[in-house]
Amino acid sequence: MSKRTVEFNVGRNPEMGIDGSVVDSPILPFDIPEPDLDTENMLINIGPQHPATHGVLRLVCELDGETVKRVIPHIGYLHSSFEKLGEYRTWNQVVPLTDRMDYLAPLIYNCAYVMTVEKLMGIEVTERCKVVRVICMEMDRIFSHLLWLGTTAIDVGAFTPFLYAFQERERIYQLHEAFTGARITTSATRVGGMMADLPEGWTDGLQDFLDTFPDTLEEIDRLLTRNQIHIGRSQGIGAISAEDAINSGFTGANLRACGVDYDVRKDQPYYDYETYDFEIPVGQHGDCYDRYLCRMEEMRQSVSLLRQALERLPGGPIDVEDPNISLPSKTDCMSDMESMIHHFKLITDGIPAPEGDCYMPIEGSKGELGMYIVAEEGGTKPVRWRIRPPSLVNLSVLPKLAEEHLVSDLIMINASLDIVLGEIDR
Amino acid sequence: MLDETKTGLDTVEGGPQLSGKSTDSSGGKMDDPDGHPSVIALLSQFGDAVSGHRVFAGTQHVVWIDSACNLEILRWLREQQDHQYDMISDITAVDYGAGRPIEVVYQLFSTVYKRALRVRCKLPLDGLEIDSIVELWSAANWLEREVYDLFGVTFRKHPDLRRILMPHDYEEGHPLRKDFPLRGRFSRAEQTRRALDQSVEHSYIAEEMDLGRDPQQATPIIGTKDGDE
Amino acid sequence: MEEGGARMGLKDALPGGGTSSVTGGMFGDGSPTFLTSKIDWIINWSRRNSLWPMPFGTACCAIEMMASAASNYDLARFGMERMSFSPRQADVLICAGRVPYKLAPVLRRIWDQMPQPKWCVSMGACASSGGVFDVYSMVQGIDTIIPVDVYVPGCPPRPEGLIYGLMMIQEKIREESLSRHFEHRAEDPSSVARPHANDAQVIGLTGPFGNSTQQEELSNKEPGTRGELPEELLP
Repeated sequence: MSKRTVEFNVGRNPEMGIDGSVVDSPILPFDIPEPDLDTENMLINIGPQHPATHGVLRLVCELDGETVKRVIPHIGYLHSSFEKLGEYRTWNQVVPLTDRMDYLAPLIYNCAYVMTVEKLMGIEVTERCKVVRVICMEMDRIFSHLLWLGTTAIDVGAFTPFLYAFQERERIYQLHEAFTGARITTSATRVGGMMADLPEGWTDGLQDFLDTFPDTLEEIDRLLTRNQIHIGRSQGIGAISAEDAINSGFTGANLRACGVDYDVRKDQPYYDYETYDFEIPVGQHGDCYDRYLCRMEEMRQSVSLLRQALERLPGGPIDVEDPNISLPSKTDCMSDMESMIHHFKLITDGIPAPEGDCYMPIEGSKGELGMYIVAEEGGTKPVRWRIRPPSLVNLSVLPKLAEEHLVSDLIMINASLDIVLGEIDR
Repeated sequence: MLDETKTGLDTVEGGPQLSGKSTDSSGGKMDDPDGHPSVIALLSQFGDAVSGHRVFAGTQHVVWIDSACNLEILRWLREQQDHQYDMISDITAVDYGAGRPIEVVYQLFSTVYKRALRVRCKLPLDGLEIDSIVELWSAANWLEREVYDLFGVTFRKHPDLRRILMPHDYEEGHPLRKDFPLRGRFSRAEQTRRALDQSVEHSYIAEEMDLGRDPQQATPIIGTKDGDE
Repeated sequence: MEEGGARMGLKDALPGGGTSSVTGGMFGDGSPTFLTSKIDWIINWSRRNSLWPMPFGTACCAIEMMASAASNYDLARFGMERMSFSPRQADVLICAGRVPYKLAPVLRRIWDQMPQPKWCVSMGACASSGGVFDVYSMVQGIDTIIPVDVYVPGCPPRPEGLIYGLMMIQEKIREESLSRHFEHRAEDPSSVARPHANDAQVIGLTGPFGNSTQQEELSNKEPGTRGELPEELLP
């Protein structure tokens, strides 16, 4: 906990000096006198089908000229009732629903869900499983941040980072596919373990990705971090103070950009995150630019975490060796009577849970992702399955952030919050 | 058509029917409050209002409080120097079905002491009302709207209590209640017809319609159904 | 045609290319200075090679659609690099992802705004049939709302799947004829902002199937209290 702040040695609005060195100069606002005319505010509807809303978000804005006076967000255009559907499924059948919720970081959602069920049932997963899940989650953090980076760059008019980011994402797609068989909808976790162990040679593929990915990241960094247009579009835009940010429920990189070092991986550690060596980037101004810097640094930290996890990846079984939780192998099932009975019971009945409820937060790519599960004594289905949606709470601050900004800044602020509509509407 | 439906759906708005069976999720039990200073302090400060305390999943402390003083207790938890629960992680509700009370769940976290606490309030089905806590945490705004939308719990003094996920004129009831069928109450044909049988004005709330209205003209300046927007 | 040139392979593709004795024609020495072809062929050829998709992306499938448009799969190879975010300049509606009832009027409106001729690709299981989401809020297949030309299966489909679906649209365009155009593509003006399927068709299309038949009961073995609904509203 000693060193948690990373210093960004990037000046505010750098410009080239006479001798070629970088000097900081403030961005001066234009001072135009107000003409004395009768005006009235205008009502503008953006979305739900609009490329800049990153999904099916709908914003109704009241405009004074081009200044946003008020924003009323409307959500629910992707309401797929995951929570209701989960009440009809056994514990393991819920897993395929979780990756359709946040399709930008499916493995994080898979892990978060089974982690909560395991916590409720008091199951301790194996050491290998813990490290494999850390690998999965950190990989998908990069996966999600890359898409955010690409689409946000498009929103401020830069198309190249999108292509670079998708080139790297394509390699994570291939890693997903080699491990789980699917590119996005991974459904990789099961209560008490994973659907399968890592295939042979998979860690080499990941190592290969880790060797070359930082170079691409630096390339994107060179395109955006000191880019005058990008800086002008994001510095001082959508700023919020640390106190307001906590009060209004900001989490994740959005909160850390305001200077609060709240990260679930450090503050409520799970899967031995306290034993890994990583730092949490913290911003100062809480504006769009600091959010961008925080996410860029988070990707670098994730690369370092992945390297550490690959180093310590232990051998041994990946599933819990308890026949009442994990399915027996196919061979056992075909040749051994007892295994077959366990298989039959697990498939037809499911895993019985103790009475109680459990809330388990983890650090998702968008913020604090909490899963809340209520179970009945011996129940094989959740009585209530609730997802604490980080994007929903982050988005609810948008009206406050966008006030008195221009419409184009509204797009930038919305992009910088890193929302995913599948999880907002659930 | 619409009027017929209204009469049929009056029962929906009244909430689920009470059945004779009624059990308590906390069972009125008191687990050992040791290990969580906030629970000990709550018991000594608000002894009468705390109706139960359990420890689930090893370390998770849950406190049941009287729904009439939720605002008072949560304010105390937020502002006391020894507790400082400055972050509200989640607000949700649980319906156990079978006429048991719906429970509103507050998940608190203190960034100062790195401590979590879960507070639950029971609401009987014939009195689904509780005080809003938006004045304490502005994050509660949308979370409470969601509970209102999906469970039908009314939050008193909420600044903007509207449906949030379902359309604002959704007539089939509150979907996350246990007595709500998975496929909805209407047939698919009726649901499809209702979804498309809406004018553009329908997708704006009253407040926005007022903003878009030209004071000189009676009709709002919003595109009509068949024309351009 | 020289290898790699802009008109490479064009000569082979054109049927009925005429002959001429004039040298220095449009394809080089000895080639004709004119072309004869069927107007159907020319129009279909140009139409199918410059399709402008309108991406109606909502969920997971939209991410795969973005992957198809990005550098690895490069949809631009098929003349579709210009994603048209305005329906008025679009030819193909790609509906990628789940569509709730709240979004259904938006989808119908975008379809109504697109000029003829237009085609529709329903990408993924949710758009085609509702997928796993056989629930109160979801449209069970967008073919109840708008007419669909090609269904691409998968959850989500791979980019190759989407590209194959779009090539099937191109095949479909190749078969079209101007003389039967109005027969094929004319729409009843009164169908604007109305569901594409009638009530009986909707009920037929959206019935429970497969595993979802078990979902008829209420969750947690709760006996149902349906209230007093009129007959025609009940499922």
